[in-house]
Amino acid sequence: MSDFLTASVGFILAMLALGLVSILRGPGDADRMMSAQLIGTGGIAALLLLGTVTGVPAAVDVALILALLATFASIAFVKKGLSRLEVDSTDGT
Amino acid sequence: MSITTVFESVLAALVLGLALWTIAVRETYSATVGFVAYGLMVALIWVGLDAIDVALTEAAIGGGLGGIVLLGAAARLRDTESTAAETPNRMVRLGAAALSAAIAAALAIAILLLPDAAPTLAPAAVANAAATGLANPVTNVLMAFRGMDTALEKVVLLLAIVGVWSLASDQAWGGRPGPHHEADPNGVLAFLARLLPPVGIVIGVYILWTGADHPGGAFQGGAVLASMWLLVIMAGLADTPPASSRRLRLVLVAGPGLFFLVGLGGLCFGAAFLAYPIAHAKPLILGIETAMLLTIAATLALLLAGAPERSVPR
Repeated sequence: MSDFLTASVGFILAMLALGLVSILRGPGDADRMMSAQLIGTGGIAALLLLGTVTGVPAAVDVALILALLATFASIAFVKKGLSRLEVDSTDGT
Repeated sequence: MSITTVFESVLAALVLGLALWTIAVRETYSATVGFVAYGLMVALIWVGLDAIDVALTEAAIGGGLGGIVLLGAAARLRDTESTAAETPNRMVRLGAAALSAAIAAALAIAILLLPDAAPTLAPAAVANAAATGLANPVTNVLMAFRGMDTALEKVVLLLAIVGVWSLASDQAWGGRPGPHHEADPNGVLAFLARLLPPVGIVIGVYILWTGADHPGGAFQGGAVLASMWLLVIMAGLADTPPASSRRLRLVLVAGPGLFFLVGLGGLCFGAAFLAYPIAHAKPLILGIETAMLLTIAATLALLLAGAPERSVPR
C-alpha cells in the first residue's frame, strides 16, 4: 500500500512539473492563473499522500489551509480583471 | 538514495526553476502568478523539512493573502507601466546587478560559515513544555518563553494598519477602506461567498485550538478568518467597516491589549512581566490567543482592503 502511495506522489509531482511548464508557456494571464490553480490542487494531493506515507498527520492541516486559500488568488485575479474590463468599456464609449 | 530524497530533490529543482523564472519574467502579472505558485510549492518543502507551523503560515500568506496584495498592486501598476516605458541606463542596471550579486554572495558565505553543530535551544524548549501544559513547542516559545517578542509583534501589526490608513485622503479619513465591490448576487462568486465562510470559520478556529498541542496557532487561524471575511467583502455581500468605527478599533487592540494586561498581572502578582501562574498558564495563553485570533483576522483583512477611500456620511 505504501509503495502505491509513494508512486502516486511521484505521479503528482510529475503533474506539478507539467503545471509549471504551463505557467512558463502561458500564453495569457488567465492560462497562467489556471496553472497556478492546478499546482494548488496538486499540492493538496501531494500533501495528503506525503502526510500518510511519512506519518505526519499535521500535513492534513496544511492541505486544509491550501484548499481554502489556493482559490483565493484566482478570485482576486477575476475581480481585478473584471474592474479592468469595466474601465476599458467605459473608456471606449 | 531513498525515494523521499528523490522527491525532495525534484521539488527543490522545480522551486528553484520557478523562482528564477519569476525574477526573469517581464510582465508584472505573470511574475505575480509565478510567485503565488512558488508560495504553494515552498509550503510543500516546509512540510518535507518537518516544519509544519511554517508550512501553515507559508500556505496562508505566500499562497493566499500575499497573492491578493501582489495582484492588487499589479492591477494598479498596469496602467502606469505602458506610459513609463523608459528603460534604466546601463550604469543603473550594472549597479543593481553588482549589488544583488554581493548580497547573494554574502548570504552564501554566511551559510557556509555556519558552525557544524548549530547552537540551538530546541531541546530546552521541548524539555520545559510541561511548565505551560501546551505540547506544541512552537506555541510554547511564541506565547511563553519568548512572549515579549510576540506581544511586540502584534503592536507592529497595529503600526502597519496605522501606516496604511494614514495614506487616506483628507475627505476619506475615517471612511470605509477599499473600493465598493459589486457582484451578481446570483453569480458564482456570491454563491462561493455564502458556501465557503462557514467551513472556513470552523477551520480557522480549529487551527487556533489545535495550535496548543499540534502545529497551528492564532496567526494561521487569523489568516484563514481574514480571507473568509475578504471573500464576503469581494462578493459584495458585506462592506468594510469604516475606519472610525469604535467596535472595529476595539477588536484591533483586543489581542495586544489582553496580552499586556496579562503581562502586567504577572508583574503585580507573579515573578516578572508576562510570568504566567503555572496552574493557569494554559487557559491564560489560550485566552490571549483567542483575542489575538480576532485582532489578526481584522488586521490582515484591513491591510489587504487598503486605505480608506470612501467617506461615511455623518
